[in-house]
Amino acid sequence: MPLTESDNQQYFDKSKLREKAGGDWLRMHGKTVRKQTFLAAMAGIINGLGVIVQAWLFAFILQAVIIEHIALPLLIMPFVIVIGVFLLRSGCVYAQQICGFEAGAQVRAQVRQALADKCLKLRPAYFKQRQSGELAAVTLEQVDALELYFTRYCPQQIIVGVLPVIMIAVVMPINWVVGLIFLCTGPLVPVFMALIGMGAAAANRNQFLVMTRMNGYFLDRLQGLSTLKLFGQASRELDTINRVADDFREKTMQVLRIAFLSSAVLEFFSAVAVALVAVYVGLGLLGRIQIGPANGVQFKEALFVLLLAPEFFMPLRQLAAFYHDRAAALGAADAILAILEQDEAQFKPCRDVPRSIIAFHNVSKRYGKRDVLTTINVEIHVGEKIALVGASGAGKTTLFNLLLGFEVSTEGTVFLNGTAINPTLAAQSIAWVGQNAYIFQGSIRDNIALADPHASEQRISNAANAAGVTEFSAQLADGLLTLIGERGFGLSGGQIQRIALARAFLKHADIILLDEPTANLDASNKHKLLDVIDELFKAKTLIIASHDDAVIRRMDRKILLHHGRVQL
Amino acid sequence: MRELWFFLCLFKPYKYGLSAGVLFALLTAFSSIALLMLSGWFITASALAGLTVMDVNAVMFNFMLPAAQIRALAITRTVGRYAERLVTHDVTFRSLAGIRSWFFQQVIPLAPGRLSTLRSSDLLSRMTADIDALDALYLRLLLPAVVAGVGGVAVIIFLAQYSPLISFTTACLLLLAAIGVPWIFNRLGSVGAEQSLVLATSFRIRQIDLLQGFADIVSNQAAERFSDVLHRCSDLMLNTQRCNNRLTALSAALSLLLAQISLLTALSVATLLLRDGVLSGAEMALVVFGVLAVFELVTPLPPAIQMLAKTQKAARRLLQVTEMMPTIQEPLVALTIPLRYDLQLDKVSFRYTEQQDWVLKALSLTIPHGAKVAIVGASGSGKTTLLQLLLRYYDPVEGRVLLAGEDIRQFNSDDYLSCFGVLSQRSQLFAASIKENILLAKPNATASELAAAIHAAGLSAFIQDLPEGLQTWVGENGLNVSGGEARRIALARLYLKNAPVLILDEPTEGLDSDTEHDVLKALLRFAEDKTVIMVTHRQAGLPLVDVVYELQQGILIAKAL
Repeated sequence: MPLTESDNQQYFDKSKLREKAGGDWLRMHGKTVRKQTFLAAMAGIINGLGVIVQAWLFAFILQAVIIEHIALPLLIMPFVIVIGVFLLRSGCVYAQQICGFEAGAQVRAQVRQALADKCLKLRPAYFKQRQSGELAAVTLEQVDALELYFTRYCPQQIIVGVLPVIMIAVVMPINWVVGLIFLCTGPLVPVFMALIGMGAAAANRNQFLVMTRMNGYFLDRLQGLSTLKLFGQASRELDTINRVADDFREKTMQVLRIAFLSSAVLEFFSAVAVALVAVYVGLGLLGRIQIGPANGVQFKEALFVLLLAPEFFMPLRQLAAFYHDRAAALGAADAILAILEQDEAQFKPCRDVPRSIIAFHNVSKRYGKRDVLTTINVEIHVGEKIALVGASGAGKTTLFNLLLGFEVSTEGTVFLNGTAINPTLAAQSIAWVGQNAYIFQGSIRDNIALADPHASEQRISNAANAAGVTEFSAQLADGLLTLIGERGFGLSGGQIQRIALARAFLKHADIILLDEPTANLDASNKHKLLDVIDELFKAKTLIIASHDDAVIRRMDRKILLHHGRVQL
Repeated sequence: MRELWFFLCLFKPYKYGLSAGVLFALLTAFSSIALLMLSGWFITASALAGLTVMDVNAVMFNFMLPAAQIRALAITRTVGRYAERLVTHDVTFRSLAGIRSWFFQQVIPLAPGRLSTLRSSDLLSRMTADIDALDALYLRLLLPAVVAGVGGVAVIIFLAQYSPLISFTTACLLLLAAIGVPWIFNRLGSVGAEQSLVLATSFRIRQIDLLQGFADIVSNQAAERFSDVLHRCSDLMLNTQRCNNRLTALSAALSLLLAQISLLTALSVATLLLRDGVLSGAEMALVVFGVLAVFELVTPLPPAIQMLAKTQKAARRLLQVTEMMPTIQEPLVALTIPLRYDLQLDKVSFRYTEQQDWVLKALSLTIPHGAKVAIVGASGSGKTTLLQLLLRYYDPVEGRVLLAGEDIRQFNSDDYLSCFGVLSQRSQLFAASIKENILLAKPNATASELAAAIHAAGLSAFIQDLPEGLQTWVGENGLNVSGGEARRIALARLYLKNAPVLILDEPTEGLDSDTEHDVLKALLRFAEDKTVIMVTHRQAGLPLVDVVYELQQGILIAKAL
């Protein structure tokens, strides 16, 4: 859908609340990896202490050599200590990266698990509304976008709180004016950055919206490319692709333009601090300046503070470089929360116990204002063969969905074996073949054995034979082991239908639901299939949604749906 | 490397922006180095001058100029950094947008024949994630490499003026720390990097399977199993990344150590040179600070080399698609489409691959302009293949398909397809409004043409019932509308396109008898002056046609009506 001004406004209004929710959620996950984060931060802080010691040693050595002209052999000790510091710092760099990674990895594993658990609790109807490309992007890219926030940003946040304070504490006794320069320029930076960062986070989420839409758009157009070509519109679509891609670039640049301001602010303060310190101690050494302890400044101290000046800003600069990670994580958290906060279907238990295997008690279903089913009262007994008849749009598929627990009725209750329906119960006792059966990546055999992957080869080949899969699989080089996938490309509609039927045959269920099973089949195959259905499901309760007279004639009873009502 | 070079060439139209980015980056880098070196030199010189100030004969030290220079450098560094960031990112995203549409353009001729071998989720991840990964090509590979190269060489040359020995050892250790170590570790990690990309792709495919086939999974109690597989896949991804992270961390630690060692070497050598009087005190500070600064220049290089394998892989995946041969070739000189639409299959034989059986065998069929033909046959008998050959999705392996006596290979495929209106079992709806979906057939149609098409397709009542009418959004693959409604939308498209030849592939499949009746009635009126080629197994469609053929094992047999 095109983005309009009012969309953006609405989006902006919500953004404050959602940002807070996203932040809380990230913090909550941060707590679960507190130990790793703390260890990574410790490694970073020890590294920073190493930097201070190293700067002091360098200043000491340079003073000794340049000013005091001490010979090299007398400086062995400082050199040895310097080497020790080097080794320590390298070790810290290693440790920080290892511990940080663990924090990120653990969070990502947790979130993926939570998403998977959530998906299983949602109704299938939910997935039809969302583009699956978008959802796949959430579990893969968006979850990965959380990584750097936990591996780098969180430990760095702790480091920023500790290291600059230590540095000021070290510098103050040596030269309080330089200490003051640090103190004044330092804390200003986070203030500015936070201000800029707020804008960046909002803009960033906006960009995520554009990105997920872009992904959905591309998937849609790639899947329909043949249709586009048929209408000679493929090259015209190129313009739209250009526009969508360009829109994405613009939105990204909007984020970056603000995000880069924060890095410019930091660059400015750290450059200015270096310049101020250099000029101050330089002029002090020359005796040209009288402020503070300028006169008594020693070369060693001057060098030390100068070496420390860029290092003072280093933790902050790194945090700024990682600020992106936070914004990206907030954006990702938003997309992830959108799924995690979806309402789960509520199936109410009910005490009323009907004796029939399937019973609809005053069931109504509304989508918004549109009535799809109105006060349905139906009882079906064990072993009955029912034809569910009605024009397309009369509500046959919705009736099936309610029975399968894919959707919840707006009013009334559906009973299965005397128990109010829920998806687990439905999956146990019903075998269902929908109109667009899905073919999974894998072999024909795997697709048939979906309900029971450990079924014996004998049972699988029986099911394949019975549903007529063998007829075409026998002609393939690998037979039932032939790899198929993605909407069964390479298979005809009739062949997909047969695989789906074999799937249902294989599953031992008391109730069989078939949605238009004879669509895509020619007359001779149709009769063959109906014979097979009769034979195989002799002992079962069978409901077939169909408008094919050949099917209806073979059934015991007909339930006619007309505009969402049962017609007698 | 060939892959990266290919995509670098695609960046060419943006060469001015790209060079501007490099210039700004160099400016920032040089001001940053100069600031540090000048400051070090300044305070050392000041200290030495301060000592000699006590000496009455001392020459006055000019402190105003370096102090001003230091402040100027601080400003240049700030401005330069911001400009660099903006320019480089803007030009990168421009290039990526360009590459995205280039990619789509390359994919168009591959549809539908060649594209059927790729999963659309896989194609999508190539078009989005892999193209995004190319941003590293400039931002993280080319730019840091040029800056480190030019800046590093400049500093090394500068150092050589004071001490060739320091310059030489620094250059060696620099190369080792910035390129050698990361390169070696990258080699070690390349298997893991590729593996993690492969795992990510397989994760995505499984995830999309899980989402799109969710109803089938739930009703077959397979949900736990599918989510376990995903979970294992995610664990595997994390493990591969963990191993690679260990290598990266080790390489970062080693690089730091080498940088420090070179600093220590420079310090020791400078001390000796100072003792021998080759260097002055201030010059020694300049040299040591110079070595300190040059290592800051190369810090982005190790991660860049780490990125190399990932970027290369992404580039290779893109080229895999764009270098595919389309199933058909466009003619060098295209004939114009004739005004009569006599179609003829001349001893056409076809099979999809050499390993597979023949689908059609020396099949001949003449369909004169205005004829109405039905082809019936068992599922899998090759009916759809025959239609696909007529539409030139594929070229016949033997024999020819002729339009008005000319081989259809001589026409431009877009022109050729403009003669055909197709209604098939699967009505592809796009994620767009109903109106946009119908207008696909004729984007510049007038309001009255659109209204006529909607009326003819029997969509009027359906659209009136919708609160948003024509603007109602139909979702991915049109899942929000029923199969019958989707077919009617496709019918409206067909009407709007008004092509002289109608290809009907099971046009009423999956429709209830009322809708089937409506669709056929509309087709009957609409097809009056057109050529009709229909594939069906339903009796209901047969009044539309004059001749019926049956396709049996790749051979056509005429049937009495």
